[in-house]
Amino acid sequence: MSQFRAFTALYRGHLLAYKRTRTAIYWSLAFPLFFLLMFGFVFGHGNPDDTRFVMPGLFTITIISGSVFGVAMRIVTERESGILRRHRVTPVSAVAVVLAHGAMALTMLLASLALQLIVARLLFHFDLGAATPAFVVVLVLAGAALIPIGLIVGSVARDSRSAPAIANFLFFPLMFLSGSAIPFMMLPAWMQRIGRLVPTTYVNESLQGVAVRHQGLTQVAGPLAILALTSVIGITLNGLLFRWESTEPVRKDRLLIAVLGLGGIYVAAYFLAPALGMATFHPRS
Amino acid sequence: MSIVLEQLRKTYGETQALKGVDLSIASGGVVGILGPNGAGKTTMVEILEGLRQPTSGKVSVLGLDPQRQSGELKRRLGVQLQSTAMPMDLTARELLQMYAAFYSRTSPVADVLHRVGLEAKATTLTRHLSGGQKQRLALGIALIHDPELLILDEPTSGLDPAARRALHEVVRAYNAAGNSVILTTHYIEEAEALCDRVIVMREGVVVADGTPFELVGRAEGLSTLWIECSGPFDPQRLEAAGTTHHGLEGTHHRFTTRDPAAVIVALGEVLRSQHVTLTDLRMKRPTLEDVYLELVGEGDADGDPAHVLEASR
Repeated sequence: MSQFRAFTALYRGHLLAYKRTRTAIYWSLAFPLFFLLMFGFVFGHGNPDDTRFVMPGLFTITIISGSVFGVAMRIVTERESGILRRHRVTPVSAVAVVLAHGAMALTMLLASLALQLIVARLLFHFDLGAATPAFVVVLVLAGAALIPIGLIVGSVARDSRSAPAIANFLFFPLMFLSGSAIPFMMLPAWMQRIGRLVPTTYVNESLQGVAVRHQGLTQVAGPLAILALTSVIGITLNGLLFRWESTEPVRKDRLLIAVLGLGGIYVAAYFLAPALGMATFHPRS
Repeated sequence: MSIVLEQLRKTYGETQALKGVDLSIASGGVVGILGPNGAGKTTMVEILEGLRQPTSGKVSVLGLDPQRQSGELKRRLGVQLQSTAMPMDLTARELLQMYAAFYSRTSPVADVLHRVGLEAKATTLTRHLSGGQKQRLALGIALIHDPELLILDEPTSGLDPAARRALHEVVRAYNAAGNSVILTTHYIEEAEALCDRVIVMREGVVVADGTPFELVGRAEGLSTLWIECSGPFDPQRLEAAGTTHHGLEGTHHRFTTRDPAAVIVALGEVLRSQHVTLTDLRMKRPTLEDVYLELVGEGDADGDPAHVLEASR
């Protein structure tokens, strides 16, 4: 109970600090908007049908950048500046600290996604109608799955120079192998197979299902289950990998558990995907 | 006892930061840990706070093991770390509110702001506070849950004298309410003004321990006496009592001695036999600073080089 109060207080602190940082607002709101315009005009040719087809990829990219970059840097910065060390001599738990960062990242991500949704609707008539709630559920679940990965990057990164390097290293496979930058169906077969090992493939898959193929949540239950599992395992792994101080070594054995844990989900998904009809070629509806 | 240490050792690779420290500190006082950089002060207090694990030895803080009972210790202990790190985009009040939420029982934030003298800065962002104000805010954070023991690591380092005094007042008021304080410092004046017990450390060992008054008494340094008499006075007679005569300073003879008490006793005898009366007597005992420099070695001493020169005179 008291840890929940600590979590709320930390989350409120993050929100207040965020409100006062113009660059943070720019990166989390203006940048996704710029991407939206680019996707809408260049790939969507400004017409609703094409736009509807490319929007899931755009949202996936927004989710990747919102979950792997910002939050990893914020954890590293708090650790390097000694704020986490200061927290350490109070009764606040690592879980409260990590979850407050996660909740803040999810808030920022949902704000930028909401802005994208609204502008996409106004400019490109991207209207999901009755599918809107399902689409939002997928977005929230996708954020909840990927943000813990960003948090892990923050805990594992040695310092504020290596955090963006690791994030970049993750960003490109998460973007290209998932079919969010280039549609999955246009990828060669071997890349589609590798794509099954990447979490964002299942994000894109679910978003496509709801927005393009008019599927309900139950019809995308497979990829959603993978995302939910990623979220739970990811949060648990954060408990193992969190570091209060830069001088604390990254526990190699725990890092191995993390890689095996998250990797395990996707190796399983790789083999189950064809049977469940996931991440395979879908003709354009 | 608020703190008991037995044969506390800490090594970092080849370096021995603490080489077997034994200490017991009673509740209710203000204890200063004094020593040059690298003496092991910070290592020691961070072991007390549970931030570092000792290599060997026993540690008990408020009757608790800082490693195994850290949960309860954190609730009862207030800490100000050496480098003050806090979120810069929060106001003083917001920051105190945030830290207050980490504890189940706390002082009202307004009270804490008042105690550390930051009422007028309640809505100022931390990044816009001066160094002294930041340190006072850090102290406020350490005090938010009314801890029974406060550990401050160089709380006044880098502050101007006025800011330092303001911080001393906060610590005194907190101690007057019956709480214990342990602080590290390399300001001798600070230890003298604030502490009722001073522990001097050097290279990982305790080299002196006592009240400032006791430590000065234990000094091996020279006391200086200035003596002025009504008539002609032969200083050689007094030199026999273990002093060195340094000639006249104005109308005063200047002597130095290691045993001022013996000299004063002899002085009466000498004056009577020479039929002169004493018109003025002044004495300068070694200061805590002289004692400190004796203990830690002048070359290692931190702070104002002028002090070092004065002491080596």
